[in-house]
Amino acid sequence: MNLSAPSDPRRARAFRFTGCDYDAGEARLRYAFDDGAELVERIVFPDAPPLGGARAQAFARALRLLHWIAGVSYYKAGAVGQLVIENAAPDHGALALLQSVYGEGLAEFAYRNGLRLQQHWSVPPAETSAAAPALGLPQHTLVPLGGGKDSLVVVEALRAAAVSCTVAWVGDSPLIAACAARTRMPTLQLRRTLAPELFDYNRTGAWNGHVPVTAINSAILACAAVLYGYDSIAFANERSASSATLEYEGRAVNHQWSKSWDFERRFAAVLHGTVAADLHYCSLLRPWSELAVTRAFARLPQYFEVFSSCNRNFRILGPHPADRWCGQCPKCHFVFLALAPFLPKPRLLKIFGRNLLDDETQAAGFDALIEYRDHKPFECVGEGAEARAAFAALAQRPEWGEDTLVARFRGEILPQLDRAALALEPWLHPADEHAVPARLAPALAFLRG
Amino acid sequence: MPPTSLTADAPWVVLKFGGTSVSTAARWGTIRDLAEARRAEGARVLVVVSALSGMTDRLKAASGESGRTRRLAHWEEVRQRHQQLAGDLGLPADAAWLRPLQSLRELLAIESLPADVLAWQARVMAHGELLSSALGAQFLQAAWLDARTVLCAPSQPHQNQRNQRLSALLDTQPDADAAAEMARLGEVLVTQGFIARDAAGDTVLLGRGGSDTSAAHFGALLRASRVEIWTDVAGMFSANPRQVPEARLLRRLDYEEAQEIATTGAKVLHARCLAPLRTPRVPLWIKDTERPLLAGTEIGAETVEASPSVKALSMRKGITLVSMESIGMWQQVGFLADVFAHFKRHGLSVDLIGSAETNVTVSLDTTENLLDSDALAALAADLARVCRVKVIAPCAAITLVGRGMRGMLHRLQPLLAELGGERVHLISQSSNNLNLTFVVDESAADALLPRMHGLLLASGALRADDAALFGSSWRALYAATAVAAAPPWWRARRAELLRAAAAGTPRYVYALPRVREHARALRALRAVDRWHYALKANAHPALLRALAAEGFGMECVSPGELAAAQDAAPRAPRLFTPNFAPRGDYAQGLAAGALVTLDALHPLQHWPELFRGREIGLRVDLGQGVGHHEKVRTGGAASKFGLPLPELEAALELARALDARVVLLHAHLGSGVLDAGHWARVHAQLASLGERIGTLRALDVGGGLGLPQREGEAALDLAVLDAALLEVRRAYPQFELWMEPGRYLVADAGVLLTQVTQVKHKDGRHYLGVDAGMHTLLRPALYGARHGIVNLTRLDAPADTLYQVVGPICESGDVLAGDHRMPAAQEGDVVLIEHAGAYGYSMASHYNLRGLPAQEIIEE
Repeated sequence: MNLSAPSDPRRARAFRFTGCDYDAGEARLRYAFDDGAELVERIVFPDAPPLGGARAQAFARALRLLHWIAGVSYYKAGAVGQLVIENAAPDHGALALLQSVYGEGLAEFAYRNGLRLQQHWSVPPAETSAAAPALGLPQHTLVPLGGGKDSLVVVEALRAAAVSCTVAWVGDSPLIAACAARTRMPTLQLRRTLAPELFDYNRTGAWNGHVPVTAINSAILACAAVLYGYDSIAFANERSASSATLEYEGRAVNHQWSKSWDFERRFAAVLHGTVAADLHYCSLLRPWSELAVTRAFARLPQYFEVFSSCNRNFRILGPHPADRWCGQCPKCHFVFLALAPFLPKPRLLKIFGRNLLDDETQAAGFDALIEYRDHKPFECVGEGAEARAAFAALAQRPEWGEDTLVARFRGEILPQLDRAALALEPWLHPADEHAVPARLAPALAFLRG
Repeated sequence: MPPTSLTADAPWVVLKFGGTSVSTAARWGTIRDLAEARRAEGARVLVVVSALSGMTDRLKAASGESGRTRRLAHWEEVRQRHQQLAGDLGLPADAAWLRPLQSLRELLAIESLPADVLAWQARVMAHGELLSSALGAQFLQAAWLDARTVLCAPSQPHQNQRNQRLSALLDTQPDADAAAEMARLGEVLVTQGFIARDAAGDTVLLGRGGSDTSAAHFGALLRASRVEIWTDVAGMFSANPRQVPEARLLRRLDYEEAQEIATTGAKVLHARCLAPLRTPRVPLWIKDTERPLLAGTEIGAETVEASPSVKALSMRKGITLVSMESIGMWQQVGFLADVFAHFKRHGLSVDLIGSAETNVTVSLDTTENLLDSDALAALAADLARVCRVKVIAPCAAITLVGRGMRGMLHRLQPLLAELGGERVHLISQSSNNLNLTFVVDESAADALLPRMHGLLLASGALRADDAALFGSSWRALYAATAVAAAPPWWRARRAELLRAAAAGTPRYVYALPRVREHARALRALRAVDRWHYALKANAHPALLRALAAEGFGMECVSPGELAAAQDAAPRAPRLFTPNFAPRGDYAQGLAAGALVTLDALHPLQHWPELFRGREIGLRVDLGQGVGHHEKVRTGGAASKFGLPLPELEAALELARALDARVVLLHAHLGSGVLDAGHWARVHAQLASLGERIGTLRALDVGGGLGLPQREGEAALDLAVLDAALLEVRRAYPQFELWMEPGRYLVADAGVLLTQVTQVKHKDGRHYLGVDAGMHTLLRPALYGARHGIVNLTRLDAPADTLYQVVGPICESGDVLAGDHRMPAAQEGDVVLIEHAGAYGYSMASHYNLRGLPAQEIIEE
C-alpha cells in the first residue's frame, strides 16, 4: 500500500532556497532538497494593484524576506545541516533574523523530535546596499485576524482611537471570515498554498512539527503592506508570549517564539532597514498580560458568538459552541479560565456551551496551565502565574466555589501557594516594553480599567 | 365575493394568516380560495391578518427615529411596498385602502414626539395590520373590521406601562351580541391581528405571537366552530424539526398537551393562544398555506380513542440550576421562604424545583438579567450564608409531553438507559400527569434529543404507527430534496417468493439488483474515495462477489471473515478491524495483506514485532455514540470500541518507535443514522485530529447509513451527505475519505419468508405463530428492532387483527413483532419479514437445535 515515495528529505545534504518571483497577484516561493524536485509555495494577493518605482523595489525586497522565512515549513521535513540561499543575499541583520527563525523558531520542533539542529548557512556575498527609503505609505493599518479574542481587542482598540484599519488573514478559515465580517471593517484575505510534495514527505515519515507560523504570516503581511499601501501592521501578541515553555539542550524552548518581543524587535528592524523606512511592525498588546486582554475582551459581547481561540475545531464552522470550542485543549482551558473573573458565569458558560471547571476529567489540563505537577503546554497560553491568579479569584466566588476543579484548587493546591503572589489586580497593569508607533499609541488606552 | 344566503345561526370560522402569507398576490389568491371554501361549507368567515413581512420591524424602526425626515423616509418605504402589492392585486390606485397610509403619514410627520410616546408608538405600529387588512378587504371584496372595536385589553395594574401598551393581555369571553353585530357587517370579514384597544379606547399591541392571539380571542368571542392558523409549516411536531428531522407531525392534541408543548419549547404556536379557546371548546387547527391539502395539527377538547402515547419531546436550553445543600434545614420554619426571597430580590424567576431532605435544586430560565448582570453572583453570595450553593450550567430541560405520562413509564426503559450515561441533574413530574422533564448538561442535549426521539419511536412509547395521532416525518414532508422511499422490490416478485417459500421455510431471499442499486448510488458520491463493505452484515458469497464487482473492498473483523472475503472476492482490498481479538488474529490479518486497524494500546505494547515497519490504522472513540438502540452504539464511554482520545498520543508514540506508519484514522459511532450531517461531523473531528499525524493518508468515517424503517420516514439524502462531506474535504484536501457501510447495502435487499404454524387467542391477545423465531432473526429480541411484516398469501386483505407475531423457540422473548396489525391468518400462510438482508442469517443460531434457515439469491 505504499505510494510512489519521494526521496526522503531526511537523507538530503542541503536545503536550497532556489528563487522567488511575483506576477499579477501571485507570488511563488521555490525550494529544493539537494537536486530533488522543486517545491513551490504560492501566495495569492487578491486585486493586487500594479506597482512601479520604489514601491516595486521595496516589494521585491519584502518578497525575498518572505521567501527566506517561509522556507522553514519545508526545511523542517529534512532538518538538514546545510542551508543554501542561491537567489540573493541577506544582509547581516536579515541573516541573523533567519538564523533565529530557523533556530529559536524551531526549538520546540527539535525538542519534540529529539533533534539537535546544526545549521550551516551558505549565502552569496552581500551586496552593499543603502538603507531602505521611506515610501510615503498611506496612514492605514493592517490588523491580522486570528479568530481569537486578542486580534479582536486590537481591532476595537484601534477603532476607539479612530485609526483607519483593514482586517487581514491568511487562509480559508470560515471562523476568521465570520469574525472579520462581525468587525464591519474592510477585509483582506490572502491565500497560501503549500507545495503538495510536503504532504508526500510527511506521509513517508519526514520530520514534522511546529513551525513559527507568526513569522511567516508577518512576512506575508509585510508584502501586503507594501503592495496595497499600509504604513503599519498591528499584531496582537501579549507580553506572556515572550516567556519560555521549558529549557532543552541549554536553549529556551518557547512555543510562541515568533509572537515574542525578541522576534518583534528583530523583524521590525529588518523591515525598517531593508524594506521600507516608514513601514511599522508592532504588537499593540505587547505591554499587556493575557488577563488584561481578556478583561478588555469581556466588554465586547458582539464577538461572543463568533470568536474562538481553540486550535482543534478550527476549519469547519457550526452553529453550536462545541463546533468552535473543543473543550479539551489548553487554549480552551486557558481562555475559559481567563475570562471567568470578568464575565457573569451564565454568560461565560453560554460561550463555551459547557462548564470546563466542573468537569473532573479536565483536571490535568488545568494543572498544566497553572504549572502544577507539569510544565506549561506547547500552546499560545498565558503565564502560569496569571492562570493561578485567575483560579484564586474564582475560588473566592460563591457561584464558582463548588465547581469540582475550583473546589479542588481551593482544598488541595491553594494551601501550597504563596497567597501574596495570587492577586489578580497587578496583572491588569501594563509593562513599559512595546514598539507601538506614535500614530497608533492612543489605542493602548483601550485596555486600561 | 358573490353573496350567498347564510342562516342567522351560521357558525363562524376564523382564518389567520401570517406575514409571509399576506405579502404576495399569489398568497392572497390562496386566502381567497380558502375563504370561499369555508363559506361554501355554510360558515361565516373572519380573516385575521398580520402585517406584510418585515413591516412591523420597519414601523418599529420608524417610531424609534428622532427626526421627522428619517421617519418620513420609512413611510415612503412602507408606501412603496403596499403600492406594489396593491398593483399586483389589481386594486385601483385611488382606493379606500389608502386611508391608513394617510393616517400613518400624519402620525410620523409630527415635529417632536408626544409626551406619551408609548401610546404614539402603538398607534404607529398598528398600521402594519391596518394596511394589510385594508388591502385584503378590498381584494376579497369583504367587509373591513377594525379589531379595536371588538377586542379590549382590561387594565392590568401589576403590569408596567410599556407592557400594557406593547404587550397587552386580553380577557375575552363568548359574546353573542358582538357576534351578531359582526354578522351584520357581512359574511366575510377581514380584520387585524396584533392590535386591540385598552379601557380608555387607545390602541394597544399584543406582543410576540400577537396575531395568533387575536385569532384565538376572536374565536372565543364568536364561539367559532374552529380557528385555523395558516402558517409555513403543517403544524406542531413531535420535536423541533431543526433538531430532529425525523420528528412526526402531530395530528391531534388536546388543549393541555398543546399548551405543554408550546410552553416547553415549540415555536409554531404561542402558548397564549390556547387559553381563551379552552373554556368555550373552540378547536384550533394549524395548516400549511403552501400546501393546504396537507393534514395539519388539530387541537381540541376531545382526545381520540388511541393507545396512550408520548406526543412530543421538547427542549429548552440555557437553563441555570442553583443547587442548595444544607443539613437540617427542613426543621426550620420558613427556610424555603427565606431562600426564595433572595431569588425574588435579585430578579431571578424560578421554574423547576426538585428537592431531597438536604438539598433543594431549582432552575432559572435565561434572561438578560441572568446573563449580563451580577445578579447570579450576588444571589450566590447571599445564599452562601445559609447553605452550600452550587451553580450548575449550562443545562437543557428536555420534556416528554403526553397525556397519561405515568402510565407509560414502563415503556421508557430504553430512554432511561440512554439518560443513564448523561449527567441528569434534576427530574420533574408534576401532578397533571402530562409531562416528565429531565435537566441535563446542555452540551449533551443536541445529540441526545434525536437519540431520545429515536428510542421513543423504537420502543413504541411514541406510537408513530397510529395514523390517528401522528403524520409523516418532517424530513419526509419538508426536507429540500426529500427522497421518497421506493416501493419495496418484493411486491413485484410475489409469485416467485411464494414458490420459494413452498420449497421450505424459514428462508432468506436476497435480491442482487437491489444490492447493486445501493452500491452504485454510493459509488456516485464524489466525496468518498474508497468504499468497503462491512461483511459482518451478511457474508453470503454471492453478495460479496456482486459488491466486489461494484468496486467495493471488504471490511473484516475475524479470520473467518477474512477467509470468506478471500474465497469470494480475492482481489478486493481488505480492511481488518477486530476488537479484543487474540494476537494470532492480527498475525493472520497482516499475512492476508489487509490493512489492520488497532483500537487499543495493548497490541502495540505487547506485540510490537507484529507491527514493526508496517502501515496500520487506528480506530478512535470520539466520545459519543449514536444509533437507534443502546446495543448498536459503538462510541462513547459505555462502549468497548475505540482508542480513547487521551491515549491517541501514546499510540502514535508507540507506532513511531516501531517505525509503524499510521495511515488510516477511523471512527464509527453507530448505525441506523438518517441525519446526513452526522458523518460530516465525524469527518471534521477526525480530520482535525489527523492534522497532527504526518503519515496519515485516509480518514474512515465508518458506516451506519440509515434506511427508512417505518412508513412516513424519508430515505437518507445521499446528495446532502455528499455535499456535507465535500465541504470537509475542501478544508482538509490532504486526506482521502473512506467509508464502510454494511447494513445499508444489503438490509432491504433481503426478506425472510416464514409460514404460519398456529394461531392462538389468549387473554384478549391474538398470537400468530410462525416457523421463524429468534434463532432465525435475532434483531427484534436483541435490539427491539421493528421489521415490517406482511402476510404474503393475503397481501391485499384488510389488516384487521392485532397480532403478537411469535416464533417456536422456548423463550418468552421470542417475539418478532408486538401489537402488529395484519389480516386474519391461517396455518400455512406465507409471512414476509422485510429488511432482513442484514444481521439476519449472520446472527442466526442453532438454539433449540432447530437448524439454520435456508438462503436463496435472486440474480436479476
